[in-house]
Amino acid sequence: MKNPIFDIENWREIGTTLAQNKTRTFMTAFGIFWGTAILAMLIGGSRGLKTFMSRNFEGFATNVAIVFPGRTTKSYAGFNKGMELEMNLQDVINIRRALPQIDQSSAVNYLWGNVLYGQNSTSAQLTGVESGYDKIFEPKMYEGRFINEADNMQSRKVCVLGKKAADELFVNETAVGHDVSINGIYYKVIGVAGQTSEIRMGAELDESVIIPYNSMRANYNLGTKVDMFMMTFKSEYSPGDYEETVRRLIARNHPVAPDDRGVMHYFDVSEQFKMVDNVFLGITLLALVVGAGTLLSGIIGVGNIMWIIVRERTHEIGIRRAIGAKPRDIIIQILSESMVLTTIAGIAGICFAVILLAGAEALFNDEQGGIHFLLTFKQSIYILITFLVLGTAAGLIPAIKAMKIKPIEALNDK
Amino acid sequence: MIISLKDINKSYPGVVPLHVLKDINLSIEKGELVSIMGASGSGKSTLLNILGILDNYDSGEYYLDGVLIKNLSENKAADLRNYMIGFVFQSFNLINYKNALENVALPLFYRGVSRRQRNKLAMEQLERMGMADRATHLPAELSGGQKQRVAIARALITKPSIILADEPTGALDSKTSKEVMQVFRDLNNDGMTIVIVTHDPGVGEQTNRIIRISDGRII
Repeated sequence: MKNPIFDIENWREIGTTLAQNKTRTFMTAFGIFWGTAILAMLIGGSRGLKTFMSRNFEGFATNVAIVFPGRTTKSYAGFNKGMELEMNLQDVINIRRALPQIDQSSAVNYLWGNVLYGQNSTSAQLTGVESGYDKIFEPKMYEGRFINEADNMQSRKVCVLGKKAADELFVNETAVGHDVSINGIYYKVIGVAGQTSEIRMGAELDESVIIPYNSMRANYNLGTKVDMFMMTFKSEYSPGDYEETVRRLIARNHPVAPDDRGVMHYFDVSEQFKMVDNVFLGITLLALVVGAGTLLSGIIGVGNIMWIIVRERTHEIGIRRAIGAKPRDIIIQILSESMVLTTIAGIAGICFAVILLAGAEALFNDEQGGIHFLLTFKQSIYILITFLVLGTAAGLIPAIKAMKIKPIEALNDK
Repeated sequence: MIISLKDINKSYPGVVPLHVLKDINLSIEKGELVSIMGASGSGKSTLLNILGILDNYDSGEYYLDGVLIKNLSENKAADLRNYMIGFVFQSFNLINYKNALENVALPLFYRGVSRRQRNKLAMEQLERMGMADRATHLPAELSGGQKQRVAIARALITKPSIILADEPTGALDSKTSKEVMQVFRDLNNDGMTIVIVTHDPGVGEQTNRIIRISDGRII
């Protein structure tokens, strides 16, 4: 006999056998179809969930620490406990000098502001920032640009409006280039920005107005006060390692006890992200375990059906053997049938899952985008190959069993 | 001499081994129409299985058309069955989801004959059996006599050295039995060697030679 793979006769025989046993073919195919579909949906679903969750953290650097003042819990140097700490620019200078590991940083001040443009007015959180702020927060720019270093150095009267504030003041006009009054002082609008992540500091970026830190300090008589200091570390450093350094630097610059933990708060954002990473790992593991279970039950199902098919066909196999089929012919026939079935039903199952996943992707994605339920081509090929290999292996046991039946025994099997 | 058996012994193992065939010596010439007759349990089916290379024997020698049939591999046995033997069974043993033409053509599939050639040869055999108009019918749509004709066509398509028939009329009424026996006689007249196993004396009478077997011995 010729090589069975290139022998058109062999394929015709498989086609005929499968086509002429419709119920059996359908039942087997459905099992494989369901198995691949469930597995594909599981993989796609966990991917979708992951992208859905990670979108919340987009637009926010992960290696961030935030320093903000607290109250003293010990009396020190003649001061009672319960004193509020006021951070100042000297602290910022000290921290920047002592920590070359810092990548980007910004002192931040907050004020409440009434913003006017013509007849329109709105209240917004006024945020004074340095140029490093947009590297930490990565705002989404609708128009114009963000505050840069020159704006801050020269205390320029420029502002970036949050999307909502801009919509309220300008309705359908372009905001950039116009002047707005903030608490009685005019600023030129240089950009309109929005929030990309779900993380917020005080008000959402959309509802605030951002001006250079130095402009805020000078225009509203804030002295050298710093409400908050944000910094990102270079990727090889971990923010948690520098808390003590920062505490020492703060304590040295203020009349507070060096071991007073209440003086300031050090919020290590990377810790939060580690937790999220663990959740992701959990999702992946769960998908893997459930997926392996599905795969196993699918394969057992295929093996089971192949077993029944072989039992049911013992007599037919006997006839084929009596008229000259070799054991190899029988094995090739059974395996080819199971492989053809697995391939077709597997592709159908993956297609079915892809349709559902595409639906889910369309349903969950808003204009922000970034949620991916769909499988990659590679993943679907892997699923198919896994099913093909394991399905064939599952078919192999009954096939070998079928080969071992002697032709007369098979003929007598009714 | 197309079949030659020398001192064939066969027993089935068990707590009490069953000695089914005892020193069988038998020769059948080319072109003979022979029946092997015996009661149920006499060993005639075992003898037919050995003749048909479906079963092994313990000792002795069996030559089929000059080839020693002994301790063959499954593959060799399958080849010899395909090329030298045409089987006809009591229960027809047609594949029920294949039509008459496909059933007849099946042995040639295992020889690697192309589909077109297979179907052409199968059609010739069906015509010879007077079944050409039933070529596309499934076995379930055929009467017993028609099924047996299809089975005979399938046995003939490989141009075998002998035809072995196991109770070919056992499942048929007396009228169709006669017709089927006539088919065998016609084939024999064309020179085909045919061995029929039966317990029906009516069938035995229509053959040229009757070999009686009883209790594992030829008498």
